[in-house]
Amino acid sequence: MKPQNQTLPSLIAVIDVGTHKTVGLVGQLIDGKARMLSYSERRTDGVVKGTVTDLEKLQRCVHEVVNDVERGAGRALAEVYLSMSGPAAEGERVKGIISVPAADGRVTRQDLADAVASAKRLEPPAGRATILYMRQPTILDNRPVGNPVGMTGRRLEVLFWRVTMDEPNLRLRVGMVNGMSMMLRDFILASHAAACAVATEAEKQGGVLLIDMGAGTTDWILYYKEHILCAGSIPVGGEHLTNDLSVALRVSRETAEDLKQRFASAVHRDNDLNQTIWKDGDRGLGDQQFNRGTITKVSSLRYQETLDFVRKDVLRQLDQIFPDHPTKLDQHLLPSGVILTGGSANLQDAAEAVQLVLGLPARVGVPAFEVESFRKPEYAGVVGMMTAAITDAPPPRRRPTGFLATLRDLFRF
Amino acid sequence: MDRAPSILLVGLGGAGCAMVARLAPGLPADVQVLRVDTDARLVAEGGPGAGLQVGRAQTRGMGTGGEPALGSVAAESEEAALRRAFTGAALVVLVTGLGGGTGSGAAPVVARLAAEAGATVLAFATMPFSHEGERRMRQANEGAVALGQKAHGLVFVHNDLLLQQVSTEAPLSESFAAADAWVGGALRALAAAFEPGALVPVEPAALRGILASPGSPTLFAYGVGSGPGAALQAARAAGSCPLAHAPGAVTKVAALFVSVAGGPTMTSADAFEAVGAVRLRFGGETTTLLCARIDPSFGDRVEVSVLGASLPAPKPAPKPKKGAKAVDAGQPLFGFATEETMRRGQFGGTPMTFIEGQDVDVPTYIRKAVRLPAG
Repeated sequence: MKPQNQTLPSLIAVIDVGTHKTVGLVGQLIDGKARMLSYSERRTDGVVKGTVTDLEKLQRCVHEVVNDVERGAGRALAEVYLSMSGPAAEGERVKGIISVPAADGRVTRQDLADAVASAKRLEPPAGRATILYMRQPTILDNRPVGNPVGMTGRRLEVLFWRVTMDEPNLRLRVGMVNGMSMMLRDFILASHAAACAVATEAEKQGGVLLIDMGAGTTDWILYYKEHILCAGSIPVGGEHLTNDLSVALRVSRETAEDLKQRFASAVHRDNDLNQTIWKDGDRGLGDQQFNRGTITKVSSLRYQETLDFVRKDVLRQLDQIFPDHPTKLDQHLLPSGVILTGGSANLQDAAEAVQLVLGLPARVGVPAFEVESFRKPEYAGVVGMMTAAITDAPPPRRRPTGFLATLRDLFRF
Repeated sequence: MDRAPSILLVGLGGAGCAMVARLAPGLPADVQVLRVDTDARLVAEGGPGAGLQVGRAQTRGMGTGGEPALGSVAAESEEAALRRAFTGAALVVLVTGLGGGTGSGAAPVVARLAAEAGATVLAFATMPFSHEGERRMRQANEGAVALGQKAHGLVFVHNDLLLQQVSTEAPLSESFAAADAWVGGALRALAAAFEPGALVPVEPAALRGILASPGSPTLFAYGVGSGPGAALQAARAAGSCPLAHAPGAVTKVAALFVSVAGGPTMTSADAFEAVGAVRLRFGGETTTLLCARIDPSFGDRVEVSVLGASLPAPKPAPKPKKGAKAVDAGQPLFGFATEETMRRGQFGGTPMTFIEGQDVDVPTYIRKAVRLPAG
């Protein structure tokens, strides 16, 4: 007999649809922590360069993942979180400003709510719908403050990083989930999710840039003083590395993928030219030999160019946020440097390439997770979605019991 | 002249005329030259051969401003003059730059008129640099598809590829010299092949058989060697010719035309060794047309030119049976790798992705014109 949903601890289901793979995770929320119940991973069909090209195929693939995790969890899913990445999602900074009405300049809860409402009143560009608001610092008289309520000032500014998606894309994703008799609980920005999994609070506090290079797109997100400052996406990913190798070496996509994983590098060294490598290694019929230098040259050019696109995109966004003083990507802005996630973070010498192109120290971000096979940079996104989903939606408060709890509940505002 | 010109070299548009002007001094005497452009100034400026201004009414001699539709109308407006020019030509070699207005728009029209006049049409089309932006690249791709359907043979010369041929310090003119050498080599080889005095003459009709038919990808390679073992050296150079190595280019063909030209010291053994090396590299199992030529001016130098096509004409699709699923209108017109898929690999057929005016789906090393280590 199927147990009733409401008698069980709430389930959190996340689905990360990437260009290369679709991963589903279901966790059970126990004492504010998620315990993994089931997971499933399948090759994504119908997505090219982060854009849906064949909805039917994609739907079939997502459906299979949902079936898998439902079977594993032993329950039907009522709602899911969906990842959002790539060029379909665009972000911008929105601002709500009010002058504090109180005579003594003390900010009230209502003032804050008014400022938030005025920020959210700003219409998204035509043809796009707002998906997410992510909190940025609140500013009281040009001073960033944590919580302005109770403080005094004249001018209160609240800032949000607003993510919008073009409406056809949004309809497509919502329809896909609703078509499986589930609710779409919310979207989670994939790069933010990855940061939840691999960046520490201290790193976010200091300033850190996360670059999530997946198969189809490279998403980046920049944290400064604990908040999201800006985020963006470049429509180039690991598939481009594979494609470059396949064109340059005149081999199939599969062979190129294999060679990429074994021999490619983010940095080309002259010594690579002296190495001859074999495709299969058995030197038998059909084995081919290649110069390792060719492989690393092609892969390093693409990888470093993509990092350079990220660098320019970050600077462009920073210029929009701080039009008055030019910002530089340096240790001053980003003392915690760069964290790399996504499948392409596995590329040899990836961190060194970041140092070369961005001039910042870098590390590869590996998520901590109870399932060992998920402790890889390519799973940072989906693992982090779990964390993001919990922080984003606290569990329904249980009825407090006991005298102290009742008292606390009485005085709770 | 006592006989009609057998080979007509047509430079079309700004890029085509410029290349023809550079090539003209080194051409064999029996190659006629025609320059066709919309820009009155460029036509009047003079140069080798005859000039023909098209689209007087449409562009008033100002050029097309990069508008292919205008280029196409311009060529059609001078249909009679173009037909007259092509009369009697056995082979028309059309040289043009795709991406702009005159090249992309007029080339398919010019190729069609030449083919209708009974000539075999071989087109050399320059493709724009990746840096020239989305519009030019799209126009070039569209022009390439249209031209491919009208010309018997179509060889692409990638500007990106040209940059890879020279060292980074070399002046820009040197990279264009590589393209000139390729097209010039082809012209000399073809001119010599048709000459009655050639050691092994080739009929223009036979050449058309090699080129199969409009719409099949064309292979072209050119190589030079000198000193001892020059013939084999030239054949190997042709084997690694960047034109035949362009991403996605044809690697093996069924029918080949191989021309070996050398000085008086070249022996038949040399020539056949070279042909053997070319066949090993490119195939040519069904037919291999040979042309050997001795030219005292070559000294110890040997030139090898290779032309071929892999596929027979794609058969027209059978009419769908009643009740059969209608063919998707968005499907490509013919099934071989188009110019676009050649450079973009698995991303061919997907919308181009532009960052800073470059199609980033094209491999970085091609866009940045980085020469890859051999092997």
